[in-house]
Amino acid sequence: MDITGQDVAQSIINGLCMGGTYILIGLGLTLILGIMNILQFAHGEVYMIGAFTVYLLSVLNGVNLYVAVVISMITTAILGLILERVLLRPLKGQFLSYVCVTTGLSLILQTTIMLTFSKGTKQLPSLYKGSFEIAGAYVSRERVVAIVIALLLTLILYTFLKRTKYGLAMTASAQNREGALMQGINPNLMSAMVVAIGSALAAVGGALGGSIFNLDPYMGGLAFMKGITLIVIGGLGSIPGAVVGGLLLGVAESLLALFFGAQMGIILPLVLVIAFLIFRPRGLFGHD
Amino acid sequence: MLLEIKDLAVRYGGAEVLRGVSVEVEEGSVVTLLGGNGAGKSTTLRAITGLVPIASGEIWFDGRRIDGLAPQKIVELGVRHVLEGRALFPYMTVLENLKVGAYLQKDRGKTAQMLKDIFVHFPRLEERQGQQARTLSGGEQQMLTIARALVGGPRLLLLDEPSLGLAPLLIREISKIVRNIHERGVTVLLVEQNTRLALDVADRCYVLETGNIVACGLTQELIESDLVRKAYLGA
Ligand SMILES: Nc1ncnc2c1ncn2[C@@H]1O[C@H](COP(=O)(O)OP(=O)(O)OP(=O)(O)O)[C@@H](O)[C@H]1O
Ligand SMILES: [Mg+2]
Repeated sequence: MDITGQDVAQSIINGLCMGGTYILIGLGLTLILGIMNILQFAHGEVYMIGAFTVYLLSVLNGVNLYVAVVISMITTAILGLILERVLLRPLKGQFLSYVCVTTGLSLILQTTIMLTFSKGTKQLPSLYKGSFEIAGAYVSRERVVAIVIALLLTLILYTFLKRTKYGLAMTASAQNREGALMQGINPNLMSAMVVAIGSALAAVGGALGGSIFNLDPYMGGLAFMKGITLIVIGGLGSIPGAVVGGLLLGVAESLLALFFGAQMGIILPLVLVIAFLIFRPRGLFGHD
Repeated sequence: MLLEIKDLAVRYGGAEVLRGVSVEVEEGSVVTLLGGNGAGKSTTLRAITGLVPIASGEIWFDGRRIDGLAPQKIVELGVRHVLEGRALFPYMTVLENLKVGAYLQKDRGKTAQMLKDIFVHFPRLEERQGQQARTLSGGEQQMLTIARALVGGPRLLLLDEPSLGLAPLLIREISKIVRNIHERGVTVLLVEQNTRLALDVADRCYVLETGNIVACGLTQELIESDLVRKAYLGA
């Protein structure tokens, strides 16, 4: 079996595209962890539900794909708000019950989706049809669109956090909870905002992921793991870290799978997490 | 009275760290709360801004009972608390820290005016506005945390040991700043271990010892009383 330059180029593009979905899921996780000091164990399921919402709308009901993604963002954000209000907020600080409840919630969401949708392979329609050639390699347009969407959303989030009053308030809350409280910032508003935003981004991640592989109710578990890996690589709470970490992880996985088989691609994140935790616990861009 | 604490008790777990603490702060005055390590000074301030739950007693601000309110609500009423240890946003710039200080101000024009005004009083901060807060010197950080509170336009400013860790020259600077704040019409409740600084700026003074108020009165009277002289002025 020969590996051609075409394969490598294809594999890099696929890796970047996967990286894009990792970024979208990782951003929510890292921001929620930063501001609420909790790991959202059901975040992978939020991502999965985002993808299934797009499927429900666009494939089963013929809604325009992009409109479906926007509707999915909104409904997933609302789901996030409800989760925050009824589960995350009341259980803040009670670690054990929190872990049990969110893990249980993941199972419930998975089962609900499994029972709601019929069996059989489910895929989302192409984001953008056709392909083009770069340096002798054919690249499907939808992959490029997916990468661009992921990076664009990240940029918007970054600008929001840097330039707007509520964005600065969120950043401040992550850096010093009491300091933020003493500026009159309502921590509940911050938690609600961060979970809503993180969930909406995860929904887009699900839609992009669904354009690469088939949807299934358990897709969130793996995505959650990637999100965690990306936080460890990039550094907690760092947006540039999430971007670099996500793209790095996506491309490395994809290339390793190409050269050494799919198993290596699966092992890599675990190896990276361990290596970073030992040699650089604050990640590439994290502080302290 | 702008602030009235009546018979306040606070417990951490089983330990009662404040009992029967009553403090009155008149509008427009500078009041200081003196006491050694672990006397309960920070706890008193934290009870005022709702950062610790109170076991009994009442706290009134401007004719409203505020104990039991969420911290951000108390801040909204016009109370600003400069926390012990500064509580800056270390990876945000000086300017961003100040902007967050103006979070409650809805009018952008007023915020801009407030920032200008602050920079007139703290030119050092203007020079360093683009620098991350963690890279400031201790004195500059203390200025920033006070400036951040002032940007919020408080009626009552709670200062928790602003002199902590500062060189004598900077401590004098802090006392100048406190007087300046007072002249702008802001009421100040100052917690200090640095007795000279406190007595230098305060109209009234309370002395806290292991959770009890053991002395209070006009600063002048207390300076003349044996208790404070012996315990806190080393004379
Ligand atoms: N979170 C807490 N949990 C348990 N005990 C606490 C807590 N915070 C403070 N204490 C105790 O309450 C007492 C009063 O503390 P407080 O911080 O109010 O003292 P302080 O007068 O501000 O002292 P310092 O000048 O050293 O800052 C101390 O004995 C302290 O150990
Ligand atoms: Mg203290």
